[in-house]
Amino acid sequence: MDTLDRSATCAGDIAVELQGVNKTFYQRQRSAHVRDVFKNLFRPRVREIRALQDVDLVVRRGEIVAYAGPNGAGKSTTVKLLSSVLAPTSGSVRALGMDPLRDRVAYVSRIGVVFGQRTELWWDQPVSASFEWKRVVWDIPQERYERMLGFVRELLGLDEFMDSLARQLSLGQKMRADLGLMLMHEPEILFLDEPTIGVDVLARRHILDFIKDLNREKGVTVMITSHDMDELEQLAGRIVMIDRGRIAFDGPFDELRNHFGDRRRLRLQTSGEEAPDLSRAELLTTEAGWHEYVFDAEQVKLPALLAEASAQASVLDAETHRAPIDAVIADIYAEWET
Amino acid sequence: MAANRNPVVQVIRRWRVQAYLDFMWMTRDFKFFLINVVSDIVLSLSGVMAVFLLAERFAGIGAWSRDQILFMLGYAALVQGLLEMFFRYNVLAISRRIGRGQLDHALVQPQPLWMALLTEGFIPFSGCWGAIVGLGISVWSWGRLDMAVEPGWWLCYGVHLLSSCVVVLAFSYLWSALAFWSPVGAEEISSRAIGFAWQLKSFPLDGLHPLLVNGLLSVLPVGFVAWYPCRVLLGTDQGAGSLWTTPIFACALSFVALIAIKKGMNHYGHTGSQRYLRWGHRS
Repeated sequence: MDTLDRSATCAGDIAVELQGVNKTFYQRQRSAHVRDVFKNLFRPRVREIRALQDVDLVVRRGEIVAYAGPNGAGKSTTVKLLSSVLAPTSGSVRALGMDPLRDRVAYVSRIGVVFGQRTELWWDQPVSASFEWKRVVWDIPQERYERMLGFVRELLGLDEFMDSLARQLSLGQKMRADLGLMLMHEPEILFLDEPTIGVDVLARRHILDFIKDLNREKGVTVMITSHDMDELEQLAGRIVMIDRGRIAFDGPFDELRNHFGDRRRLRLQTSGEEAPDLSRAELLTTEAGWHEYVFDAEQVKLPALLAEASAQASVLDAETHRAPIDAVIADIYAEWET
Repeated sequence: MAANRNPVVQVIRRWRVQAYLDFMWMTRDFKFFLINVVSDIVLSLSGVMAVFLLAERFAGIGAWSRDQILFMLGYAALVQGLLEMFFRYNVLAISRRIGRGQLDHALVQPQPLWMALLTEGFIPFSGCWGAIVGLGISVWSWGRLDMAVEPGWWLCYGVHLLSSCVVVLAFSYLWSALAFWSPVGAEEISSRAIGFAWQLKSFPLDGLHPLLVNGLLSVLPVGFVAWYPCRVLLGTDQGAGSLWTTPIFACALSFVALIAIKKGMNHYGHTGSQRYLRWGHRS
């Protein structure tokens, strides 16, 4: 599909729109006791799991949206709803102006999906053979195929393993190959469900840079889930946080930090081993005269903390920085759990 | 250039790319290729050998002459060979894909599900050896039977062969639909159903209690894999409508299987996969 087709078929600049979406699963509960054998067989207890509850979400074209939440929050369910794999229990799911389930064939030809733990590669074939298969099944015109093949080979560094069998690739190589494969038909939206899971630091950087380049150069909309918040912050301007099926936050990363307090880290070096007891900061670690605290910069001013520390010990050095987003999110998850 | 949307063209294009993948896979390691060919031929022959030896020892089985038995064995081996050539990679044993939560892969491809299933398991080079064995036995039997066959007979043969393949496929899919509701328990159910069909495909069912024969021509339709169609093709069953029985049964069973799969897909759309096994959705 060329650029003209895209603009003609899409209403407005909305890429993804979820309205009042609910998704409920039912799980049979089975007791492990022999005395419950008949109950397990004929009247098992059914647990209702509300994976998504009244979810409203709009993603605009060209946006990169980080979709985050603890395990079981509903991230993968959302990606599946948007990938034509699942139907919502109620509510409306629209993407590119289409219903992903009803218009599945037309819709999936315009999106790309990567599930971090799955691969579309042909296992016993060289990577290049999977690309040839993709060309035929996705009906990619030869000119576009060659152009995109050159593009993904260069950006993802596929040349080194293009002729290797898929089953011989490392996790990072496999993910790069899967990403390349996904992009061959120039999808307008990418749904990436934990694309860097199990991937080493270098390969991860490679993949993230690639997604950024793709968004910048081709205006591709990206919706990405990951447990690595620092990674998401590098990539996305906006974060949508989901907790127990509900959207708990939707906005820029900075706003997220502010929303849950401006958490900062303070590292102090003192002449003694003992850490000063600061009334409005929480001690995280103490080692060889260095003590690390976390505090809310909106509530407590740094000079006041330093004064309190100096009153208790001889402060040799001090440094402060914003808490990594991972730490912020961990605190948020902990709060949600309670 | 606008893409050709004709489904027949689309299917042929997909078969072509699958043939290319299969050819490349087969020729990558010649030693492995040879082992693959020999083992497929041995397996295919061993599947019909017991009945052949019995027929050879007793100059036939029941009302069937030795050459008629040979004809049926060739037909049965051809049915199995064709299905194994067109529906590998767990397409014939679809309950594995369903039970392992791997159907998602087909759903994110821009093609109807039927097209993905019809084309993705096609392996004409590495998987043709069973069909070649079946064809070889058939040709041998045609020469020995000395039948005066006309073009109409060949058409009838082709229709019956196709119908027998459809019966096995539909039988497998019908049972496989259970895997939508019981992914773990029914993951291997299609391989059991297919195994049942392959084990009994070459036995003449004449002389069995009518209740059993009717059962094997309906609930467990193994009689349609080779026995009943061969009776019709050899002219030993000339009952009214017998010529149409196998094709009609194939259509009816396909219809039932289609309903079961559609219901299962509907369920899958609402519940999704309860599990996902990573060891390759095409293995």
